[in-house]
Amino acid sequence: MLNAIIPLLLDSLASAALIFFAAVGLTLVFSVLRVLNVAHGSLYSIGGYVAASICLFIASRQLNPYLSFAALLFSAVCVAAIFGPLIERGLVRWTYGKSEAVQILITFGLFLILEDLQRVIFGVQSFYEDAPMRLLGTTSIGGVVYLNYQILLVGMAFLVVIGLRLLINHTRLGRLITAVVTDREMAQSIGIDTNRIFILALSLGVFLAALGGALATPTSGIAPGLGADTMVLAFAVAAIGGLGQIEGAALASLIVGLARVLAIYLAPSLDAVAPYAAMLVVLLIRPYGLFGSVAARRI
Amino acid sequence: MTFKGVSIVVARWLSSLELPFRLDRGLPQANLRLVVDGLAGALALGVVVASPVAAQEKPSSLGLGIFTFTSGPAAAYGMPGKNAADLMIDEINAAGGIGGVPVSATYVDEAQGAQGVIAEYRRLAGDAKNQVMVAALSSANCLALAPLAEQLEVPTVGWNCDTHQLLIDGKSKYVFRPNGNTVPEFIAYAIYLLDRKPDVKTIAIINPDYAFGHDAAKIFIAALKALKPDVEIVAELYPKLGSPNYQTEISRLATARPDVVFSNLWGADLENFVRQAAPRGVFTSSQVILALGETVLQRVPLPDGVIVGVLGDGWWMSPDAKAKPETVKFADAYKARFGEYPVFPSIKMANALIYVKAAYNTAMQKNGGKWPTRAELADAMKGSKVGTLTGTAQTRADNDGLVDQIVGVTAKTPGQQFPVIGDMVRYKGDSLMPQAGQDPLAWIATLKPEFAKGLPKPGSYK
Repeated sequence: MLNAIIPLLLDSLASAALIFFAAVGLTLVFSVLRVLNVAHGSLYSIGGYVAASICLFIASRQLNPYLSFAALLFSAVCVAAIFGPLIERGLVRWTYGKSEAVQILITFGLFLILEDLQRVIFGVQSFYEDAPMRLLGTTSIGGVVYLNYQILLVGMAFLVVIGLRLLINHTRLGRLITAVVTDREMAQSIGIDTNRIFILALSLGVFLAALGGALATPTSGIAPGLGADTMVLAFAVAAIGGLGQIEGAALASLIVGLARVLAIYLAPSLDAVAPYAAMLVVLLIRPYGLFGSVAARRI
Repeated sequence: MTFKGVSIVVARWLSSLELPFRLDRGLPQANLRLVVDGLAGALALGVVVASPVAAQEKPSSLGLGIFTFTSGPAAAYGMPGKNAADLMIDEINAAGGIGGVPVSATYVDEAQGAQGVIAEYRRLAGDAKNQVMVAALSSANCLALAPLAEQLEVPTVGWNCDTHQLLIDGKSKYVFRPNGNTVPEFIAYAIYLLDRKPDVKTIAIINPDYAFGHDAAKIFIAALKALKPDVEIVAELYPKLGSPNYQTEISRLATARPDVVFSNLWGADLENFVRQAAPRGVFTSSQVILALGETVLQRVPLPDGVIVGVLGDGWWMSPDAKAKPETVKFADAYKARFGEYPVFPSIKMANALIYVKAAYNTAMQKNGGKWPTRAELADAMKGSKVGTLTGTAQTRADNDGLVDQIVGVTAKTPGQQFPVIGDMVRYKGDSLMPQAGQDPLAWIATLKPEFAKGLPKPGSYK
């Protein structure tokens, strides 16, 4: 078992990175808009489909393969630019102030529509595009061959945590978001355009989801059903970390990643239930999650 | 015409009831007669149409209920089956249909889950036009539908469900499986492996976390333990069906350092695993066995020397298949229409439809050319021996099929851009099957190393 410790830790980090991308957008949107977006998982898979399609286009035209890295980012931007304003203006804005049940039902309806839309546009077959993974090569650590792309993913997850912190604490937009989160009515009364903040926040959430899907594509296939799986896992992470807590999402991703990896190494039959077992343990001790509290509205 | 006459007599008799029950209600006598005749006629015709006897009149079309995965990750395996059904039905219809009756299919997506599949089965079975069900891909769905097939008395051909549990009680009258059984399928890999790598010591398993994955592992391990008791299983991983990411499992396999990695992952899962495992060196550090590996040969660059198989004999490039003009024609037509050659689920579906067609021909021969009832059709399937695109499907007394098993390793050939199967062996269907009614795992436990010595060797099938 000792010789497995380094691979175990590395796998936990790599697994946590993918889970974090899926969860952080969900928690950010909840923090600002107070809406639990059930369609979040679909936006993750749409990001993956779009990224794979662009990368496949690059490969089919025999363009510079390194363009596929830019394609991953570009696809997330495109998905956010289209779906962010569309969803906020067209759907979510009608749910503000309504009960959580209504919000969940409406975003669940959106989830079903988006899932069918993906099926119509991308078909039911799996999509693969692994050019970025192949370009970066491999490294042997602790006797196990790792993809350098996996290490890149861990770095990207750290960058997103730091980037979000900087955005919220050190930019004007961040201060506006914080003002809206703290007291929406007061923010409106001092002239902050809350509608604009909501569109931006939702678009940022969509961007993070789509970026997660896009970054996952080179090491994972995309097929119908990915959205549902992602959504469930993102909810578990958000619940463990505390809804609306970015650092909470990061820590919860690590916990869930570690739980999954430990299960695969030590008790493979528990692999599927490990994230939810971790959630159960945390919620029994802290019902509002690790960083959550009853009344707090921090981000 | 006989039934039309019966309908008119029944209708007339029913309409005569108007007098004793005073049904005039002020209507003019002629109108009343018309109304009652109409109602009674409709009722009588309805009864006649709904009864199995009516099926002996040649219908205008023969409906097939075909169950497969057309969505979700399993569609990567299910759609080649559907494509083959489309192509095969077009070919049957172009040749005049079955007994002169054109065939039409209603497809049911198995991704909706067992309850939905059962409801669809009931709905289709309720329509007398649908004489046969080709159901299903998933073993779980086959197990769920089997009692229904017996209850509703609808001939049901399992086109892909391999679980040895399906026909284990030997009592089935309406469920048939002409395409393969997990017992011979996974014993075949153990025998082939030990022939090719007799010094194997450690094995890791990565199979999908549902009945097929666990059953396959159980049979493969039981066969290994019987034939080479000192083999050690160093890891057994069962990732969730439809997992997009296997990186942690791959690390686990790397730390276990097994001589052999065995997997019966399939569909998109298999493709994912191969794409993720290849760059991380799994295929160079261990001998990998991909039981359903033929399905990805055209899609992912598998290295040479990977043990792959087709769960049965359904490889379109086997010597037997290549020797049959109709198989070559089918493969070429498939490639022209769908852009790649048929994978073994396609062949299994095509063979299932050939099996159904043969049963119709036999049933009509037996009853003097009349269109058979569902019961007569099922009777024709019993004990049948049908030449398929890739071999022969022999139906045993327990309705299970005996088909040969082909196993080989990936190899390059100048004729194709993708790897093909080389160093092949073809095990006879009955050589790896327990007798009907025998407990399969108990039978496997009785196998001795001598058992494998009497079987053909890798490379013998050319």
